Parts: sequence; structure tokens; C-alpha cells
Amino acid sequence: MSNILSIQSITKFYGPIRALHEVSFDVPSGSVFGVLGPNGSGKTTLLGIIMDVLRASSGTYSWFGESPSERQRQKIGTLLETPNFYHYLSGEKNLQIAAAIKGRGKDDIGRVLEIVKLTERKDSRFSTYSLGMKQRLAIASCLLGNPSVLVFDEPTNGLDPVGIAYTRELIRELAKEGKTILLASHLLDEVEKVCTHVAILQKGQLLMAGDVNIVLTNEDFIELGVEAESQEKLRSALSGLLGIRQLKEVNGHVQLFFDNGSIMDLAEINRHCFDQGVVLNHLQLRKKSLESKFMELTN
Amino acid sequence: MLSALKIEWMKVKNYRTFWILLGITLVSIPGINYMMYNIMDNKFPKGKNGRNPIFGSPFAFPDVWNTVTWNASLLFIIPALLIITLTTNEFSFKTHRQNVIDGWSRQLFIGVKLVEILLFSILCTLIIVLTALGFGLIANKLGPGVTIEQGSRMAFFYFVEMVSYSMIALLLSILIRRSGLTIGVFFIYMLAEQIFVLFLRNSYHMKWVDYMPEEVTDMLLPFPYAKTLFQNNAAEWNQHIPVYLAISALYLFLYCLITSRRFVKVDL
Repeated sequence: MSNILSIQSITKFYGPIRALHEVSFDVPSGSVFGVLGPNGSGKTTLLGIIMDVLRASSGTYSWFGESPSERQRQKIGTLLETPNFYHYLSGEKNLQIAAAIKGRGKDDIGRVLEIVKLTERKDSRFSTYSLGMKQRLAIASCLLGNPSVLVFDEPTNGLDPVGIAYTRELIRELAKEGKTILLASHLLDEVEKVCTHVAILQKGQLLMAGDVNIVLTNEDFIELGVEAESQEKLRSALSGLLGIRQLKEVNGHVQLFFDNGSIMDLAEINRHCFDQGVVLNHLQLRKKSLESKFMELTN
Repeated sequence: MLSALKIEWMKVKNYRTFWILLGITLVSIPGINYMMYNIMDNKFPKGKNGRNPIFGSPFAFPDVWNTVTWNASLLFIIPALLIITLTTNEFSFKTHRQNVIDGWSRQLFIGVKLVEILLFSILCTLIIVLTALGFGLIANKLGPGVTIEQGSRMAFFYFVEMVSYSMIALLLSILIRRSGLTIGVFFIYMLAEQIFVLFLRNSYHMKWVDYMPEEVTDMLLPFPYAKTLFQNNAAEWNQHIPVYLAISALYLFLYCLITSRRFVKVDL
């Protein structure tokens, strides 16, 4: 799989503040690549640099294996931060300007307005649009000319639950068509639901990058509970088990984490505890949430 | 560049403020001259030759070129307002970023603004030419040895001054980005330079103040009224014109350079 975008050692300073530090990763062709990180982690700065609206302090990037140029940006549909349109013009006229800059005709405007369900409001001024409509118009602008690469920065910002679900479905549909999508978000479930690859940023540093199933592995664990007076007995009984990596007490329950995800059978644990004279009143296999995993990575 | 200009046209053709400011600019050129013509025609007594002994006939050929351009130059703030509004709108709406994201180079974005200023200045200069011809033909028949085009180089000087003021407006818009603040700074700078020049010229007889950015282009269009009182050094002014033009060109080059470098180099 060839790379659509290759980022090499990008660093960005805002005065004394280091917003990005030596960030490098590749975006494979046909992937839905999530750039994940808490607010202020440098996601938008990174996208701003690769779209030439921000200057990197050092480092380079290439699109389609070539040095960056405006011709390449014409082939990419980009929604960066907020929808940027002329407030006094209608949605349709704004799209006409975007299409002209991208070097495309007006033919596609009707189609993209239909996709984002703005056909009825195409003649209304942009300033009269709701936040969600503005966001949808920005997505429509990205889709002009059916580009093979899309860059979305927080695409569900300002959308209602229906709009969020619709946008996610749209991204999935676009991915199915084989488009490469670069998606920046701080919403983990958004990334989990649509991305094939992910890069995690924190305070401008790249923590991890790669296949989403590897980077954001869901770790299973077992939760056990006993009467309060048997807590100590339970702990000593569990200490004899093999393959336990970590044992934590949370809200009166004991959580068991195993090495390399090789989790024990629940019946086996129950039998082991019973043999040791401990009667469990709570035994459950649980999945570590993506949020916990993300917190673990970013803390 | 032609396609970029078409896109610029798409941006403004449905913008009411653009049409209002453009209309005011274009109407104000004959408007202020009509007002001054009426004052000259009605308020001051005329001698036997039909001329006021002090003010002369400022709207007759060849002086009409100087008079019309100088009067119009009093209103440079209006076209400057238009330039500032159109440029700072891009920053307010963040469309300067979007244009680059969508596929314009930064150089093209700023280049097309510079071309717009040239086209706008050419349009205003055409109105100047028509206005001067109109008032000149109304005011008198051509005297002996006087031709219509005599003194018409003032229209070119007006063009230079118009480009210069517009470029200062564009430069300030790119540097400041906010419309209200840019208009305020533009006003204050224009006023401050005038006061500075008058003070140093009158109090200390410093000649170099003639070459300040605003003043050097102002020098191209001398005060057209009561020339017998105020223009006793016409020959010297004539000799200095190439210097004024050369320094104006140098300033224009600097404005272009700073404006382009600023937009190309910084974060948008």
C-alpha cells in the first residue's frame, strides 16, 4: 500500500511554546487515518501545516510522494477547524468560489448539496445558516469534484446527534469507495468507529501511530467481589494464580489484569477461590474502555 | 491570473458594501469637482477677461487637469476604505485560509489583490480623465496655444497617488487584519504624516520631509487654486517631478515587497 501523505520530523513553535515536536508518520492509501489527541495536543496545527496555512519550524511533508504544492491541495477536500465562507454570499455561491479555486466546474455543486441535505437552503446567505448547516456546507465543499483524499478536522463539531451519525456514515461510505481520509478528533468513539489507522498526539508529541486495532487494543480484565471481611483472604488466594500482571482494588471490587491478554477462564478462577475457602459474590469479565486506554496512553 | 480575477469578481459582485463604496468613489470624483466648480463660478467675482484675478480659471484648460485631480485626491480615504474592507473581510471570515487550502498559492492570493488595486486605480483614473474633459470643455473654449492634452500628465500623477494610497491601505490590512483598527491606523497615519511634514517644513525648513511616503505622492499634485500666490516655484516643482516619481516607485516597490513577504511567510 503506497503512502498518500508522509510526514517527517515536523516541529512547530508558537513563540516559546512548542506545539509539535518531531512528528513523523505515514498515511497509507485507502486508509481512514485518525489523528487523536486531547484539546491542545497539536492536531489542528499539524493539519494546518500539511495544508500550507501554517509554517512548520522544521521538518518536511510530501503529498502523493511529491513536494507539496497548490496543485495537490486542489485534489484534496479539506475541512480545517471552522467552516470558512463569505458570510454575505449564499451557500451555492460560496461553493461556486470553492469549485473555481479547485479548478472544477459548477456541475458538481448540486450533487454535494444533495449529499449534505442543503439543497433547499442553497440560496440562503451563509450568515443565516445554523452551526450544523455551516458544518455541512463545509463538508459539501470538501466533496466537490469527488476528491480521492479528504482531510477532516473535527467534522462532527456543531452537529446534532443525527448529524453526527450521518457524518460518520458518510465517512464510512467514502472509505468504502476507497478514499483516503485523514480525520482529526478528540472523540475516541468517533475514531474507533470509523478509523483503520490512528496516530495519538499529546502535547505536540507523537505517542503512537499505526493500525487502530493495535494502538487502541481493548484490554479485558476480570472483576471479583466478596464480603468485606473476606477481602484479605481473597487477595492472598489470588496471589497464587499464575499469569497475573496487575491486581487493583476499585470500589470494593478486585480487578485482575493478565499478561499479554491471556485471560483465565471465569469458572477456573471461581473454582480456585472456592478451593482456597473464598466464596465470590461477584465475578465478571469486563472490557477496558477506550477512554481508559487513551487516558493511560496520554497520562 | 485571469481565472483568479474572475474568482475575485465572484466574491464581490453580490456584496452590497462593495457596490456602495465603489459607487461613492466613482460619483465623488465628479461630485467634489462640481461642488468646487460652483464655488469658483458663483462665489468669486470675475474680471473683464472672465477670470478671477487671484484664483484664475482653475477649471479651464490646461489647469483643469491639476484642479480635478487635486480635488479628487482629497477623497482617497474612500477607495482606501474599499480596499481595507475587502481585504480584512478575508481575515474576518478566514477565507484567506480557505482559499489557500482549496488550492491557491499564497503568492496568487496576494498577487490578485495587487492587480485589483491596479485595475481599481485605472478605473478611477478614467473617471478623472472624463471629469477633467467635461469640466474643461464646459468652462471655456481653448485659448490660443492651449491644447486639451496639455497638463494631462496630472491624470497619471493621480494614478500614481491612488495606487500609493491603496497600497498603504492593503499593507495595513495585511499587517493588522482587523477592519476597524486598520481604518483607524490608516486615518491616524495620514493625519500624523501631514502634521509632521507641515511642522518640520515650516519650523525647521527641512526639505527631506517632501519625500515621506504620503507626501511624496502629494507633491505630484500641487495646490491648484490661486497659483499666483502659492505656486511661485513652479519651475522648481517641474524639475523635481522625476525625483518624486522615482521615490514614489521605490515606495510602491517596498509596499509590494513587504505585503507579499508578510502574507507568504507568516501563519495564516
